[in-house]
Amino acid sequence: MTATLTTCPYCGTGCNFYLKADKTGRVTGVEPAGKHPTSRGQLCIKGWNAHAFVDHPERLTTPQIRQRGQLNAAGWETALDLVHEKLQGIAEKYGPDSLMFLSSAKVSNEENYLLMKLARAGFGTNNIDHCARLCHSSTVTGLVETLGSGAMTNSLSCFDETELIFVIGSNTTEQHPLIGSRILQAVQRGAKLIVADSRRIRLAKQADLHLRQQNGSDVALLNGMMRQILQDGLEDREFIASRTEGFSALEQSLDPFTPEHVSKITGLMPNQIVDAARLFGKTDKAMIVYAMGITQHSHGVDNVRAVSNLALLTGNLGRPGTGVNPLRGQNNVQGACDMGALPDVYSGYQKVADPVVREKFSKAWGCNLPESPGLMSTHAIEAAVEGKIRGMLILGENPMLSDANQAQVKQALENLDFLAVIDIFPTETAQLADVILPAACYAERDGTFTSTERRVQHGRKAVDPPGEAQADWQIVCQLLQRCGLQSDYADPAEIMTEIASLTPSYGGIAYDRLSDNGLQWPCPTSDHPGTPILHQDQCTRGKGLFSPVDYRPPKELPDADYPLLLNTGRSYFHWHTGSMTRRSHLLDREERSAFVEINPEDAKKYGFVERQQIRISSRRGSISCAAQLTGKVPVGQIFIPFHFAEGAANALTNNALDPESGIPEFKVCAVRIEPC
Amino acid sequence: MLKQLSRSDLEQLLEAVAKNYALQVPQLLADGTRQLGPYDNAELSLSGQPLQRKPTSYFFPQTELLLTLDAAGNVQQPPPAEKPLALFGMDRTDLAALTFLDQFFMAPPADDIYLHRRLNALLIGLTGDAGPDSSFLPLADDGCDIELIAINQKWLALGHSEAGKSLLRKFNDGDDKQLVTLRKASRDQPSDLLQQASQLLHDDLVPDAFWEEIADRCILCSGCNLACPTCSCFCLQDRQTPNGTERSRVWDSCQLDAFMREASGHNPLGTEALRTRRRIHHKLVADVERWGELGCVACGRCDRACPTGIGMFAVAEEMVERFGLRS
Repeated sequence: MTATLTTCPYCGTGCNFYLKADKTGRVTGVEPAGKHPTSRGQLCIKGWNAHAFVDHPERLTTPQIRQRGQLNAAGWETALDLVHEKLQGIAEKYGPDSLMFLSSAKVSNEENYLLMKLARAGFGTNNIDHCARLCHSSTVTGLVETLGSGAMTNSLSCFDETELIFVIGSNTTEQHPLIGSRILQAVQRGAKLIVADSRRIRLAKQADLHLRQQNGSDVALLNGMMRQILQDGLEDREFIASRTEGFSALEQSLDPFTPEHVSKITGLMPNQIVDAARLFGKTDKAMIVYAMGITQHSHGVDNVRAVSNLALLTGNLGRPGTGVNPLRGQNNVQGACDMGALPDVYSGYQKVADPVVREKFSKAWGCNLPESPGLMSTHAIEAAVEGKIRGMLILGENPMLSDANQAQVKQALENLDFLAVIDIFPTETAQLADVILPAACYAERDGTFTSTERRVQHGRKAVDPPGEAQADWQIVCQLLQRCGLQSDYADPAEIMTEIASLTPSYGGIAYDRLSDNGLQWPCPTSDHPGTPILHQDQCTRGKGLFSPVDYRPPKELPDADYPLLLNTGRSYFHWHTGSMTRRSHLLDREERSAFVEINPEDAKKYGFVERQQIRISSRRGSISCAAQLTGKVPVGQIFIPFHFAEGAANALTNNALDPESGIPEFKVCAVRIEPC
Repeated sequence: MLKQLSRSDLEQLLEAVAKNYALQVPQLLADGTRQLGPYDNAELSLSGQPLQRKPTSYFFPQTELLLTLDAAGNVQQPPPAEKPLALFGMDRTDLAALTFLDQFFMAPPADDIYLHRRLNALLIGLTGDAGPDSSFLPLADDGCDIELIAINQKWLALGHSEAGKSLLRKFNDGDDKQLVTLRKASRDQPSDLLQQASQLLHDDLVPDAFWEEIADRCILCSGCNLACPTCSCFCLQDRQTPNGTERSRVWDSCQLDAFMREASGHNPLGTEALRTRRRIHHKLVADVERWGELGCVACGRCDRACPTGIGMFAVAEEMVERFGLRS
């Protein structure tokens, strides 16, 4: 029996646990790390079951190549040669920008770094992106503009000392359970809690105020709160004067957002807005916590700006127990962004358009690099439909289930001349691939992951990968080598040395420094202790910028033909496209198949009963799933988690994109429901 | 039989045990916790926090392959372990938990997989000055083959079973008077909180609204069950592999909806409040009725594993505080 300390593969909280393995190399269980600052001897249900999918018999164990429509087993050399030859061929014929690379928030920092190197240096395109496009691209865009850094400003330990937590658009106890539990504990010790969420989530039961605003009306709510704070004189004038700019423009922009006007847009009572503003404004130390409810809108960046404005207005920044705290959803989505698996930046958010930066990377990698920013993943799907993207390499992502408007994604992927997928299971996306390369999962390789609080931590190998599967970094290295680039890294630690040398915020990150619970970036030098709280003396950009925003409604609201609002997201027991959790016995048993949450009043209106299979249709598609009658959703809204291939919520969702961040409007579209 | 062991005697004893057993010893892990691990690569951690992973997991692991069924219908069971297990470092609560678990798994009809692991296993308890900062842990006085009682950098060794006595035979005799004093010190029970809570539940003095309140604070992590050394519930997992169907058992949790959900979808424990009540009621009332003792050995693991502070002690405390005066 062995016990290997590692980082949880699920959400971005960054819990650590020991993976137990037996003599035969099978992982047999999980034990939370008792003294780790995040897990503290505790885990959520997914963490406690994180071993369960590792040895599932459906793991991919050998490379496969599609021949006459069939996927057949092949050798590594043949498969890798083919991937390189096909991608190279497309780049030569149609130009490097006819290729798209999708990296993964599930693989390590080192692996993300190598894939972005492969796209940029190996194939000469900045067309690289990953699923942060679908979750926090609005945050990265919005907070970089207002504060200079797109990450969670504070640390999880701040929950232990804050006086108020304002949770807007985050179902924290289900999606970041060990953060949600800290919020519940804060409430137990007397901290105030405001929850703004149309759904009656678990946190709402403990909240001092629960605001059930209409999905997509967050800008109006936040502007209304800020206007009221100014009316009552509860703003932090000293902070505004010394630490911010653009205040007068903000002040003017808030004028129209009277409680009555906001009430009309949000569906809240005017006094609820006033109460929330006063409770928040009178508190000295308040944390704003948000997630997909803020970001996944066609005005996601505006939502983020409004959140940032509220924090700046009340001086809730740069101190313990305060901050703008976007919760990152995957265990390495922060790291994938940090490593430059994004179309416009190298690692550490260094812009590809900056000639000095480009020169630095060009010199380090020994090749010329493309100048113009690449395509966002959501735009790449559109481009593939149009035939402008012809070849794609997807590392550990499953856009067939995770992206909005499934019909369009399918059309895009089928339209490609060549698709290669690196994954651990035969996902819905892998089924469409020309070549599948089998990867090691988190339990089978070393690497680092960066949690939502910017904590860079070890992931450690506990057991060998199944069959011929290889670590992603080894697979990407072999492609780098075929592109004639340096690829003889001995191990992930050596890759991190290269990352540190090129990435100021990771300059002091080295494997031998991470053993004691990791380091929080920015960590620029080898003697720097890391940075638990950002923007302490000044913001990363200098002054905090007020960025006024106006309310824009969602792109598609209920109407006569499609009278209900569809909200989508995750459930507690499953993870994203279900490839891991649906293969984990206890989690699968808890929620076996697709379901839709519907308010009992609506169910009565339509004559539906509990567990009845019902059809849900939008302008883009139609699915069926079992009705779950619950007051958790308000009247007029239904909620479907996107985990289930057989009732894919994203067959319905609207791929209307935020003009700046390219994020789809997962949280609002119009649907109709009928009996099956 | 009472012996006294020096550090080198202790090492000799462990060396002798390791010859015939797969010996697991307490170790300090990288995150600062103590757990049992293989003897061969370990530096002993002879005092400190309670063992993080419940030692009962050696006999009833989180996932355990039971059998493989091939296409022809042949059933194959995993080969038995080469050597029986020996666990060193269990404190009084760990040993009490294993005794409790033994009742469940070995009551007729005995669970043969558990039985095979358990029957020839050797248990070496560790009590006395073996707590955090060498604080005193009460004596177990039973439930193991050998009990090592740490005192002044030495260990009094009590042989409880024949196997234990024979392993200790060659060492020097210990001082019985010391043992008497230590036994006296062990008699001071910490509190009767759990007994009081048990009585309240037994007398039905805790209203349903209380369980709703506690359940609202539960995030369904299942950690209370998985960390509990007396929880014995498991479910079956069948997987199709190239070799046939693999049937395993997996730790289950009564806090999950599907734990008792029927195929129709109906669930006799259909609310979180009912399931939360069951968790506490089972240990404090149902187990007392079935086994004549509390199902909680007061090890504190569920309280430490609970992210929202509603483990056994926390709930019992709240219950007694709020409803105790009425009884």
